[in-house]
Amino acid sequence: MKKETIDRRNFIKLSSLASGSLAIGFMMPGLKALALPAFECEFFQPNAYLKIDKQGKVTVFVSKQESGQGVDTALPMIVAEELDVDFRNVKAAIAPFGTIKGSEHDTGGSQSVLEMYKPLRNAGAVAKTMLIAAAANEWKVAPSTCAADNGEVVNTATMQRIKYGELVCQAALLPIPKEVTLKNPKDFKVIGRSEKRSNLTDMLTGRSKYGSDIKVADMLYAVAERCPVLDGTLISVDDTAAKRVPGVLKVVSYKGTGAPMHVRAGVAVIATNTWAAIKAKKLLNITWDEGKKNKESTEQLFKTFEAKAKAKPQIEVFNKGDITKVSGKNEITANYAQPFLAHATMEPMNFIASVKGDACELWGGLQLPDWAVNTVATETGIKKENIKLNLTLMGGAFGRRLHFDFAIEAVKIAQQIDKPVKLVWERTDDMQYSMYRPANYHQLKAGTDDTGKLISWQHHVLGTPIAYMTDGPNNKNPQEMEGADAGFCYDVPNVNTGYTPVDFNINRGWLRSVDICVNTFPVECFIDEIAAKLNKDPLAFRLSMLENRVDFKTGDRPGSLTQSPARIAAVLKMAADKAGWAQKRKPNHFIGLATHSFIFAKSYAAHALEIEMLEAKKFRIIKAVVAIDCGLVINPDGLLNQMQGGFVFGLTQALKGEITISNSRVMQDGFFSYELLRYEEMPPVEVYMIDSKEEPGGVGEVGLSTVAPALCNALAAAGNRPRTLPIRNEGFSWV
Amino acid sequence: MPGFSLDVNNKKYTVEAEADMPLLWVLRDLLDLTGTKYGCGVASCGSCTVIMDGNAIYSCQRSVGSCVNKKIITIEGLSDDGSHPVQKAWQQAGVPQCGYCQPGQMMTAAALLGKNKRPSDEVISAEMSNNLCRCGTYQRIKEAIHIAIEDINK
Repeated sequence: MKKETIDRRNFIKLSSLASGSLAIGFMMPGLKALALPAFECEFFQPNAYLKIDKQGKVTVFVSKQESGQGVDTALPMIVAEELDVDFRNVKAAIAPFGTIKGSEHDTGGSQSVLEMYKPLRNAGAVAKTMLIAAAANEWKVAPSTCAADNGEVVNTATMQRIKYGELVCQAALLPIPKEVTLKNPKDFKVIGRSEKRSNLTDMLTGRSKYGSDIKVADMLYAVAERCPVLDGTLISVDDTAAKRVPGVLKVVSYKGTGAPMHVRAGVAVIATNTWAAIKAKKLLNITWDEGKKNKESTEQLFKTFEAKAKAKPQIEVFNKGDITKVSGKNEITANYAQPFLAHATMEPMNFIASVKGDACELWGGLQLPDWAVNTVATETGIKKENIKLNLTLMGGAFGRRLHFDFAIEAVKIAQQIDKPVKLVWERTDDMQYSMYRPANYHQLKAGTDDTGKLISWQHHVLGTPIAYMTDGPNNKNPQEMEGADAGFCYDVPNVNTGYTPVDFNINRGWLRSVDICVNTFPVECFIDEIAAKLNKDPLAFRLSMLENRVDFKTGDRPGSLTQSPARIAAVLKMAADKAGWAQKRKPNHFIGLATHSFIFAKSYAAHALEIEMLEAKKFRIIKAVVAIDCGLVINPDGLLNQMQGGFVFGLTQALKGEITISNSRVMQDGFFSYELLRYEEMPPVEVYMIDSKEEPGGVGEVGLSTVAPALCNALAAAGNRPRTLPIRNEGFSWV
Repeated sequence: MPGFSLDVNNKKYTVEAEADMPLLWVLRDLLDLTGTKYGCGVASCGSCTVIMDGNAIYSCQRSVGSCVNKKIITIEGLSDDGSHPVQKAWQQAGVPQCGYCQPGQMMTAAALLGKNKRPSDEVISAEMSNNLCRCGTYQRIKEAIHIAIEDINK
């Protein structure tokens, strides 16, 4: 296994330096393919992203990890566009780990399309250029007299045609061009047209293999009991009863780890099937040393937040103008709170590890596989070059699989048995040992002048930072301020924002939209509160501080992001317009608005929610309107699905999402106590897209942050403003 | 271990398992029918839904011992090629995101439409609320069910 891995890596290095003919053997381990004469080739693969076989079938290797966001379709569409092939002839496959730079597999921050748009266009154009050159050679004409068209090369003088499949072996002999011409976007035929998911049939017939569906030869199953308190240790385990369960082979224990993943100390039952392991786990009699931090609670945490909110922020994050000169004038203050949240992917965490001697092979879904492999190496003593990783499809991720605690656990367990082991997390494990979206609290203050103009804005964010977990508590700058930092979009002359970290003994991690979701809720609610106080229309009030503001950089460094208030205003206007903002409302009907940018991914979205009040605190959502500007849209149907799904994710958080902690333990243990939105609660969603020629942005995270503030703004318009999520805690109910 | 005769997707299997092993794990671990998914193990999410004697059931809640002499259909047996009206409708509506919950969603829908060719929206809502989707594809599920209803009533 070790030898093969190294051979393959060397081989790829070779092929990236050499011509197309060498690359023929790209996917074949070992050197055998190299010995084949090119005319006997099976396929043409000029780079790591695509290959074309002799039947003209195109396979695109998707470097980003699929977890429902549709990269398995959008990314191949980009290749198909430049390659000039029918998308229906394109098959998507997972790019094997090791065939491209490790970090290129990283999947998060809604970056996949942004990052891969140019490289994949280029990859497709390179292949097309080589196929054209091969055809030109065949016809003994200049390549400039040939053109690509729907999987064929056309001789534009004679109108002769050759199929790509017939050219692959000749194309493979040609040098890889250094520069290629990309299409003019006005000639796009694939990009911008809705396509169904590339692996849809497999998904609908049960053939798709998620990590938990993978089986390898001689594989055993493991389920683990973990220390109920983070960073606790194992004292003793009595496994007598557990070992009597038929099918149980071994009970092993393993130590926890510190940063970055904080794997909990655990005891794992290894069995011939999952059920035996689950049954035996219940019979383990374990004594834990919970450590000193075993009495923490969210009840106390929010009291701490409230107390500290009154003091100055520990870290000043953004300052503009001079807040001290204007503070205290016509002041408006409000506090907002949001709980810890769990990702709750439908597929619980799982991972397969096979350790043989000083090497191991892994199978599973990971959003940051390169970091995972590096950390597995550090934590288990297995050398990185001896780890072979096989990436799989994920049944949801939402940031949970950016973390790889479960992979470290699987290797620690597999190190103690001579067969491959699939570690299965039960739903209770998934709910209680997750990487929670940090709990947070906000104090906002605004000042207006005598003409009713907003002249000052102060935002103090308090939270339990993720960086204290991934880097350790000595991190000096653990701010979680996107959406409330230099990118603050409203044109207010005096602004001061800051962050106060509060440590807490529960693991934290990145959840879909991360800080932007955390900070958009208070910002977009508070803007509405100010408008109400000033008797201004919330739409006009926002637009007055957005529409005429030019794009601005959020910092001085070369990579600093650009904020675009005009695009934030445009989506807001569109959402308000489509929701009928200017029209007369029916009795007891109210509309709430919120807008924002997902600045990293160059995407902008606004929600308008229309509700009908049925009782003082009981409502029905009549409809939700989403307006989205993500620049050039690759797959409109994919975007639509993300916006519909993002709305559900956001509404779940607004209505009922909450993780509570008592005695440093998570109180929720599954979907009965951590409820997700259900079918019967789904209101109609309308999605509208801004027609844009800007570079394509990312859409996985832009669709949820404005849902809760839009809903709360509608409820406030009806007379009762919730300032704490989920709103269920403030006595609201819905049908 | 005791042996049990099962009828899954119109095929006869004999499995050796503890009598209390849930059908879910029999399908996944012993019969390699991994289209049926594990989501919670406590009847809260519907990912493991299969059809038994025409009814949608949570396979995590049925011990293998209680499945003898029953006709069990899993997603792999709904059709050979994705041609069941529910699968076709799911295809047309482009329902899935991650897709993990969709076998369970489709089995619930197929069982419902197998018994009632024109269910009311209230009945659909009550049935489909047994299945969770974290990606939030409910709007498309609704659309797909209505496509399937049209199809089977043609």
